[in-house]
Amino acid sequence: MIPHKKKIIVLGGGPNRIGQGIEFDYCCCHASYAIKEEGYEAIMVNSNPETVSTDFDTSDRLYFEPLTREDVLHIVEAEKPAGVIVQFGGQTPLNLAKQLEDASVPIIGTSVKSIDRAEDRKLFKAILKKAKLNQPQNGIAKSTAEAIKIAKKIGYPVIVRPSYVLGGRAMRIVYDEIDLDEYMKKAVIASPEKPILIDKFLDDAIEVDVDCVSDGKKTVICGIMEHIEEAGIHSGDSACVLPTFSLSKSMLDEIRSATNSLAKELKVIGLMNIQYAVKNSVLYVLEVNPRASRTVPFVSKATGVQWAKIATKAMLGKTLQELGVEKEIIPGYFAVKEAVFPFSRFPGVDPVLGPEMKSTGEVMGIDKDLGMAYMKAQIAAGQKLPMEGKIFISVNDRDKRTIVGLAKRLASLGYVVVSTPGTADILKKNGLEVIPVAKIGEGSPDILDLIKNLEVKMVINTPGDKKTKFDETKIRSGAIMHMVPIITTISGARATVSGLEAARKKGFNVCSLQEYHE
Amino acid sequence: MPKRTDIKSILIIGSGPIVIGQACEFDYSGAQACKALKAEGYKVILVNSNPATIMTDPEMADRTYIEPIIPEFVEKIIEKERPDAVLPTLGGQTALNCAFQLAEMGVFKKYNVEMIGANAEVIKKAEDRELFKKAMQKIGLDLPKSKRAHSLKEAKQVAKEIGFPLIIRPSFTLGGTGGGAAFNIQEFETIVERGLEASMLSEVLIEESVAGWKEFEMEVMRDLADNVVIICSIENFDPMGVHTGDSITVAPAQTLTDKEFQLMRDASIAVIREIGVDTGGSNIQFAVHPDTGRMVIIEMNPRVSRSSALASKATGFPIAKIAAKLAVGYTLDEIPNDITQVTPASFEPTIDYCVVKIPRFTFEKFPGADQTLTISMKSVGETMAIGRTFKEALQKGLRGLEISAAGFDDLKFKPTVAELNNKLKYPCAERIFYLKYAIKSGMSINKIYDITKIDKWFLNNLKEIIEVESFIKKNKKKILKNPSIMRKAKENGFSDIQIARLIGSDEVSVYSAREKMGLKVSFKLVDTCAAEFPAFTPYYYSTYELEDECRA
Repeated sequence: MIPHKKKIIVLGGGPNRIGQGIEFDYCCCHASYAIKEEGYEAIMVNSNPETVSTDFDTSDRLYFEPLTREDVLHIVEAEKPAGVIVQFGGQTPLNLAKQLEDASVPIIGTSVKSIDRAEDRKLFKAILKKAKLNQPQNGIAKSTAEAIKIAKKIGYPVIVRPSYVLGGRAMRIVYDEIDLDEYMKKAVIASPEKPILIDKFLDDAIEVDVDCVSDGKKTVICGIMEHIEEAGIHSGDSACVLPTFSLSKSMLDEIRSATNSLAKELKVIGLMNIQYAVKNSVLYVLEVNPRASRTVPFVSKATGVQWAKIATKAMLGKTLQELGVEKEIIPGYFAVKEAVFPFSRFPGVDPVLGPEMKSTGEVMGIDKDLGMAYMKAQIAAGQKLPMEGKIFISVNDRDKRTIVGLAKRLASLGYVVVSTPGTADILKKNGLEVIPVAKIGEGSPDILDLIKNLEVKMVINTPGDKKTKFDETKIRSGAIMHMVPIITTISGARATVSGLEAARKKGFNVCSLQEYHE
Repeated sequence: MPKRTDIKSILIIGSGPIVIGQACEFDYSGAQACKALKAEGYKVILVNSNPATIMTDPEMADRTYIEPIIPEFVEKIIEKERPDAVLPTLGGQTALNCAFQLAEMGVFKKYNVEMIGANAEVIKKAEDRELFKKAMQKIGLDLPKSKRAHSLKEAKQVAKEIGFPLIIRPSFTLGGTGGGAAFNIQEFETIVERGLEASMLSEVLIEESVAGWKEFEMEVMRDLADNVVIICSIENFDPMGVHTGDSITVAPAQTLTDKEFQLMRDASIAVIREIGVDTGGSNIQFAVHPDTGRMVIIEMNPRVSRSSALASKATGFPIAKIAAKLAVGYTLDEIPNDITQVTPASFEPTIDYCVVKIPRFTFEKFPGADQTLTISMKSVGETMAIGRTFKEALQKGLRGLEISAAGFDDLKFKPTVAELNNKLKYPCAERIFYLKYAIKSGMSINKIYDITKIDKWFLNNLKEIIEVESFIKKNKKKILKNPSIMRKAKENGFSDIQIARLIGSDEVSVYSAREKMGLKVSFKLVDTCAAEFPAFTPYYYSTYELEDECRA
């Protein structure tokens, strides 16, 4: 018998679901490749038959088993590994980490304690205080009365969510006390055991996602991504761009130094993802996840470095210096990630975005020009953006100021703007020609008829208040059913207009990753 | 036949973003194809807009284009790279549709690109309902009565001819988008209108409903020398009427007689030959009437599918990899099986275990969505479990689903009689747990069968799990000390959490009690050949038997 090599077990992500998909399969595969490259035996545990991680030649040995304490312990007993990796399979292996550690299973990489510290609100607050970093004002409410008091103190709008659910479930942005009261009554029952978390919502803030890798001593930034949609849309659902396009150098440096100090404080070995928000030139930390995030494959494709592999090797004891990873790579082109939604499967459901993740997948558009990269991402996501024709615009009061400029740009590209009375008035006052159309049920044809007859080629509709919600839902789900491209955020509209301008000017080019990375 | 040397570079089309109906199984198949073709020395050019895939890793292909998978962009890539051939059968419906459009536009002809795996004619014959019907009739296979329509008026005429209930299927869509079953004219009109819009050809097929019939799938492969192998048979626990992607499925098929199975086998071979898939894998779906045994063919996918990924994982036979090699001219007998290294790919896999796949849903994310399972797919993921019996595999699958079930659990509330009947009749994500409630509340297997049309063999297996549950409860005091009682529980797939709940203990105590009594799990091999030959790149599943095949 040849003496056995040391073994490392990688725990996979189990069945795909919204919020935990192919990205983690990607990370687990790279972990396995890295383990093999470093001369260990790679052992994979996963139960998802759709994946590459369960391909027979991805690892040295594969266990097709459920990811539960019992099943994993059986495998650990049979294999006696030198280490078990829990940070690449999404929430599934993390949920097991504590139980496995209690059963003396050797977890490698960032410690389970650090992962818990980042998830526990009190401990997390202390970390930020120590690192002198800001967090949106927040509080914990154990009753409706308490919730109202806290919200009044920190000021509306606030984000509310139950403390005991993950992934943005039942998370809501509320703008006033009536809303909050309704949420507390309808959606959740707050109690001492199940309190409600309340955060100040930073409206109109720019959201930023950062992935970094650390060997325990040195930290290198994998990528800083700027979101297109403003804060308040789940990061998995918003489009993002690498490199950033509107942040100042001093803000980027502030982000880099904050990332470094958080990695140090949490003693990260492996990957970490941080979500920041920037409002009025102030940096806020929204969330820290000391593990592989959904954006790792996107950042890897955009920068040409296999970050999950680097992270695995760091977890096996290599330093970043030994791995030749010295500094952040800022590409000389733009990569845009856009989310893809399953709304067409659920007729009648309002396809509006919010703090709860709803996308099933993602695409990437890549180009030297930001507008073009955004357009490519939109086309790849299945939006049939029109090159001419009528565009329906109806926005809420907050967005009315911004939409004027965008509508003018669309008009100068030759598009015809169609609006319902409210938005039409504003646009006309600003000297724009607008074709008026009746609201639903207030004339014939109404806007829904125009959508059904495919007379409008694109819809820009940002959600208003409760009064208009009923009509808006019909308009938006009507657009989805008839495959008319729909944009529900003002920042999305802005990016789309820039994209249409760029596409008109230059036309599309294709270029391979190998050429980009050269 | 040796591999082709007249082609040097091959364009592989991926499947794009993860959507319902098209998930990472196409990353699995595409990545296998890239690796296989690159290893054979071909220059591989890849297009896929999804950055989260392994296949778009720069080292997987010689040229990787992260660009939209629509004809305009793919044409630009062809113009730039000038591939000799295009392989469109590994990127799901997206790749197949895109390639078909490019062929129709004359792009392949213009740049002298050959379609390998499946050409435009084959795609059309399999996807165009009318041509498919003719082809099946030609080889003497039965189909549900059907007719196509291009307008609502035409559709209503067809409805009159065939009679309700009816199934409406739009041509050329993905995962059945826009399709549905109609029991009356109101439902019919809504679905037809939606279907006409969803179809690339503004065409719907109106079909005799075979809802409630038993549903089967066969995974088949064929090479240029006309050798055909059956890789795996799959049976749906949920009968016709629920999309395969939303059904609990079982491999191999459990409830067919040998005669029925042989008939289905022969039919599958005849189908792949008639449609003319020269090289590669196909998925063929059948429905069997539970009383008369009438077998009809439902559809055929001339490409690698979600089910072929499942069949690959269930058997150890890498369908996509073999399909890629067949596409460049190898024959099945020339390709070695990586797992045994001695048997060729023409050696049909043998399974000495039971595989259960269970879909995962996320309806909680879409308030207001209709949660009834229909022929339009709604699940977002799946888990697969392997056991020595259906009972063991089902329980493992349910605990692997991560919906906070520890196995075949009880409902967390007591449904009313009306609610129960409703949930049994109209399939939903939790139907399996309602079935348990129905059996435990004393509803007879015959009654449940009448409502659900789920085969009695499956229902009786569920009943047996419930009997073991009572057995564990009865032996509450003994089980933690008595290995034979514990073994019976574990052989039937009961998790430690389930046992703990039944006897009023906790998971950790059950685990350590098992350790103390020396009742160990044994690991068995998935080796494609039921242990006839040694396996080299094995994978394992756990069960409770005396012999352990693990070489850790």
